[in-house]
Amino acid sequence: MDETLAEFFRRTILKIPMTEMMTVLKTWNFLSENQLQTVNFRQRKESIVQDLVLLCEENRASLNDAAHLDIIYTQFHRHQKIWDVFQMSKGPGDDIDLFDMEQFKSSFKKILQRALKNVTVSFKDAEENSVWIRIAWGTQYKKPNQYKPAYVVYYSQTPYAFTSSSQLKSNLPLLGQSFETHNSTTSLQERSLGLDINMNSRIIHENKVEKERVQRVTQEIFGDYPQPRLEFAQYKLETKFKSDLNGGILAEREEPLRCLVKFSSPHLLEALKSLAPAGIADVPLSPLLTCIPNKGKNYFKIRDK
Amino acid sequence: MDSYDASKLTPRQDASSRLKDFFIGATPLQKRLESVRKQTSFIPTPPRRKIPQGSQLQEDIDPQKFAFLLHEQWTLYTLTPLYKFSYTNFKEYSKLLNAFIAAEKQKGLAVEVGDDFNIKVIFSTLMGVKGTQRDPEAFLVQILSKSQLPSEHKEEKVLWTGWFCCIFGDSLLETVSEDFTCLPLFLANGTETNTAIIGTWFQKTFDCYFCPLAINAFNLSWMAAMWTACKMDHYMATTEFLWSVPCSPHSLDISYAIHPEDAKALWDSVHKTPGEVTQEEVDLFMDCLYSHFHRHFKIHLSATRLVRVSTSVASAHTDGKIKILCPKYFIGVLAYLTELAVFQIE
Repeated sequence: MDETLAEFFRRTILKIPMTEMMTVLKTWNFLSENQLQTVNFRQRKESIVQDLVLLCEENRASLNDAAHLDIIYTQFHRHQKIWDVFQMSKGPGDDIDLFDMEQFKSSFKKILQRALKNVTVSFKDAEENSVWIRIAWGTQYKKPNQYKPAYVVYYSQTPYAFTSSSQLKSNLPLLGQSFETHNSTTSLQERSLGLDINMNSRIIHENKVEKERVQRVTQEIFGDYPQPRLEFAQYKLETKFKSDLNGGILAEREEPLRCLVKFSSPHLLEALKSLAPAGIADVPLSPLLTCIPNKGKNYFKIRDK
Repeated sequence: MDSYDASKLTPRQDASSRLKDFFIGATPLQKRLESVRKQTSFIPTPPRRKIPQGSQLQEDIDPQKFAFLLHEQWTLYTLTPLYKFSYTNFKEYSKLLNAFIAAEKQKGLAVEVGDDFNIKVIFSTLMGVKGTQRDPEAFLVQILSKSQLPSEHKEEKVLWTGWFCCIFGDSLLETVSEDFTCLPLFLANGTETNTAIIGTWFQKTFDCYFCPLAINAFNLSWMAAMWTACKMDHYMATTEFLWSVPCSPHSLDISYAIHPEDAKALWDSVHKTPGEVTQEEVDLFMDCLYSHFHRHFKIHLSATRLVRVSTSVASAHTDGKIKILCPKYFIGVLAYLTELAVFQIE
């Protein structure tokens, strides 16, 4: 076995927490029971991993086997990844096609390999007619980087596919194409619904449109990246009281109400960001809150104009 | 030496679990009270209450006598009636409680009751802390520690204070027989460990039951309205509310302070019935505050949790903590708290 492959095996197995080791290895089903019994699992982890890699060598493990192990590890740790959801929409007047998993896999792989010389594509079937696809990307001149693969999970009986990757963005159109070409009548469309990977398509969200609007506006204001860490913001308000309720409350009062409002939190901006989606704040958010990052200050004096 | 029965706490428990056990009733009566209490949150509170005025009784008593009870933070508990309690036995109670604490200390439990074994327990009556003549006298328990060092002149440090009172407790007084003394409101200042020890002694000696008194947002709003309604010559503190936002991944606290004169102006504009506070007025007062806040921040405070209100009269926290600032309305504040306590007991 060449050194890079052995190293890849070593690093992949090393990632697996000891509490999951046996389960993962058994799911992988590449090393036999007898072989596993020869390993002393009470040694230091590095030594265990070394022994396992030697066993892999004995069995003439290939890159494909390593890729399978990587998929299994990722399946166990799916919650540690961030997944984007894609929905395929059918054009008008299309019939429901019969889906052939093997055909799909074969054409998917072909398309990618045709487009990129250096790419590793591996498949693993999973529950509910889904398939996990692992793609390691290379370039014209470089071999695929096995340490930064992309994952696509496609539930064949639904129009949804989930993707996760560190380097996916540039290859997105290509992936889209692989889906498209497989089924010429469908087109891939990104919908940032933020659904859970174990989504049950029977659950419907009632005010989906409103929720999406809120998410979109929140995202426009705060952006995608983590907020700067801020712990409090203070507003000194000297504004008149105006109310639609029962009219007349403090109607004759010329003087403003003198108020001091303080927001405090271990991570204030993240907390403010979550208010609209939680239904506690209206969108669009108040400019008094959204201007904190823009103005770069967190003490404000507000007066009536 | 006193013998202790099976309901005694075992020596190995730490303070927090002891406190928990202390409040879980063992006798059938206590268990019944527990289940009844869980239903009291659905009993509607009266739609109107009197605005606190200075109590008549209070004017006869020198307010300096209970000045030491002001400006302290008290943790609130409800207390069921005490069986065969007597105001004439204070000396004996002091001795018994002292012995009890010493015994607890011997077992290694009462490690917080002073650095040495030299403590003093004092029971005393709090004259004038009542609403009507029918209310039983309030009384005070203090644990003091005496310094052992001969060089220092024997200064006594107050380690723990607790007092029991009943202000306008008629509804409860009517339900109990003569053997019982009704002092449903208990206020403690000091460590939880000490409160647990002293509570255990009372529980065993008078077959009563303590329970922490939490104050929900509804009652906090009432307090805010009533205390804002109180006539004040001058304001010592700003009127402040604290909300805790439950939905954030990170906790968010919103503090909203309003100048007390402006709060009063708002209240006066809302207030219609002289001498009384009604539910509608409380709701409207709070709504005005919410809508003024919403106008600026687009945040619905009503969707968050009110945890603290603070005025020049008093401040209260939802965890059942109170601080009374104004001597004039001392009795008025206690009257409302007694009402909450009685509700919880009944």
